[in-house]
Amino acid sequence: MHEPSRFCHFRGERFLEATHLTKVYRVGGEPVYALRDVQFAAPQGDFVVINGPSGSGKTTLLNLIAVIDRPTSGEVYIEGTPTSQQSEGQLAALRKTKIGLVFQSFNLIPVLTAAENVEYPLLLQQVTRPERRARVEAMLEEVGLSTLARRRPNALSGGQRQRVAIARALVTGPKVVLADEPTANLDSETGGAVMDLMRRLNEEHCVTFVVVTHDPAVSKYAKRRVRILDGRLEEGDGRVVVDPAS
Amino acid sequence: MAVWWWIPLRSLWRNRRRTLLSIGIVALGTAVSFFVLGFVESSRRLIQESTVAEYGNLQIASPTLWSGASDSYERLIPPDAAARVAATLADEPALTGSTDQLQFSGLLARGERTQVVRATGVVPGNGVLDFDDLVVNGRGLAPDDTAAILVGRSLAEKLGLSPGDSITLTLTTVDGAYNASPFAVAGVYRFTSESFEQQVVFVPLGYAQRVLHTEGVDRVIVSLSRLDATDPARERLQSTLRAAGLPYDVKTWDELSPYYRQLSSYFDALFGFLTLAVFVLVFFIILQVLTLAFLERTREIGTIRALGTTRAQVFRLFFAESAWLAVIGSAAGIAVGLLLGAIFNAAGIEWRPPGTVEPVRLVVQQGLATAAIPFVVSVAATLLSALFPSLEAARLRVVDALRVD
Repeated sequence: MHEPSRFCHFRGERFLEATHLTKVYRVGGEPVYALRDVQFAAPQGDFVVINGPSGSGKTTLLNLIAVIDRPTSGEVYIEGTPTSQQSEGQLAALRKTKIGLVFQSFNLIPVLTAAENVEYPLLLQQVTRPERRARVEAMLEEVGLSTLARRRPNALSGGQRQRVAIARALVTGPKVVLADEPTANLDSETGGAVMDLMRRLNEEHCVTFVVVTHDPAVSKYAKRRVRILDGRLEEGDGRVVVDPAS
Repeated sequence: MAVWWWIPLRSLWRNRRRTLLSIGIVALGTAVSFFVLGFVESSRRLIQESTVAEYGNLQIASPTLWSGASDSYERLIPPDAAARVAATLADEPALTGSTDQLQFSGLLARGERTQVVRATGVVPGNGVLDFDDLVVNGRGLAPDDTAAILVGRSLAEKLGLSPGDSITLTLTTVDGAYNASPFAVAGVYRFTSESFEQQVVFVPLGYAQRVLHTEGVDRVIVSLSRLDATDPARERLQSTLRAAGLPYDVKTWDELSPYYRQLSSYFDALFGFLTLAVFVLVFFIILQVLTLAFLERTREIGTIRALGTTRAQVFRLFFAESAWLAVIGSAAGIAVGLLLGAIFNAAGIEWRPPGTVEPVRLVVQQGLATAAIPFVVSVAATLLSALFPSLEAARLRVVDALRVD
């Protein structure tokens, strides 16, 4: 578990960087550009909100930087290492150790309890049982779900499920958490609470968050806003929102 | 329990109805297979016992006796050679007894009625294939008997014979002369086979040698303590005989009985066909069920792959789930089969097979040995059916899997 950082700020280290990313799909033999020559970088401790309407290419971008999809051209660098030539197994290892993922529909494993869902990535890393237990308990405590640890996902509300998903994304101590429409299936109040939580964890753990959303309300949580439209990335107002106290 | 086993075990119960259906199919196939195999093995054992009762475990004789190359008495074992054969048997650890026999053909006549018979000269009171235990009327042959004869129940009915009656046995002596010898019926025996009862009569060996004008025997019958000791004993005896320079072959009871071999082959074919049918049935039904079940979890596969689960681990998760299904279903099938067998055995159903004299009680013989094949076949069919959907699950592209609702 990361020690909470009181001095989380952009350190200039580019954990995640994408250069000239292009993704083309073939629909009826015709090329459809989902992304066009996108340049993107996220320094450690960043909280980037990528905003854009449906079909603008934001999920495609997230999939590429999460290394669960491969670009048609361009390169994604994780800690300075290019990923396009890496094998499926190497990419799986990268996702397992360095990247946390949060999905729009929570994507919890229904047969596992909340605690077991959070424990799952640690099982993949072959962390010892006592350490797994300690880290899961601490993570659930942090997202406020200690009392619901033994509940299965179908016995949790949408907001609680997303908290479990966030705990699952953070429990391995990743460098970056990528969230795809994390509030889309939540009411505005619950969505706000989830974003508050993510922002707090960003501050406390100094973990980079990249959130893609079509919900303008999410933008207010960003340290940096980026807009995507027709597969092209436009930097927002460039405003870096960093709590002066942190 | 390792994670790769307990997660699949939990996954098994996410759709209870479908899982119970799958377990039911595997269990049904296993139970039917187990029950039929139990019946087949029980029948096979009955026939084995009856065959050994007729032939003994082993027979030692001149190769010409079994080759059919000569009908003459050249096949006979002289007394000194028979004594040497008996001496070689002394070292056989599984031996419970042995006896000499002399078989010959003859015509049995009582008044106008006649019957061609196979007469067997036996050593009365020897305890090995002397048929004393099977006498149902009169008595068995005694050591001091001379012209006494033991006839089968069916033959006695056909010729109207009772103990004490006189009959004439006409035969050809070893030197080619005809001999008609009077015999007194000592007793009537029963046997499982009607044709055996009609065709086989027993006379004292010494008297048989006297009427045939020989001192030889045509075979030595060996009785062993256990059926499974037959083949090793045969190997040992054959090599001992060869080493002693005795030109005789040792044959086992199953080699001597063409009927047993045919029936055994028929049982094997019957059970093989049933096993294949169960295998194919289980394979295709479970393939369909698992394909559907795994398809419904496409997004979940995408999720666990996105979290860093490798393709091999996905395959292992899904294959392990099928392994649970296979083991639980097959074990349930064995339990159901045991129950069916117990009910069947308790019902005491009897049947008279063609060519037999008395009805036989149908029994399902069940044990570890008969459970192993149905269990393994069902597990193998289930695992094989899981191979394709598990591989498909592992091959899914993460991004495609995550898109599925």
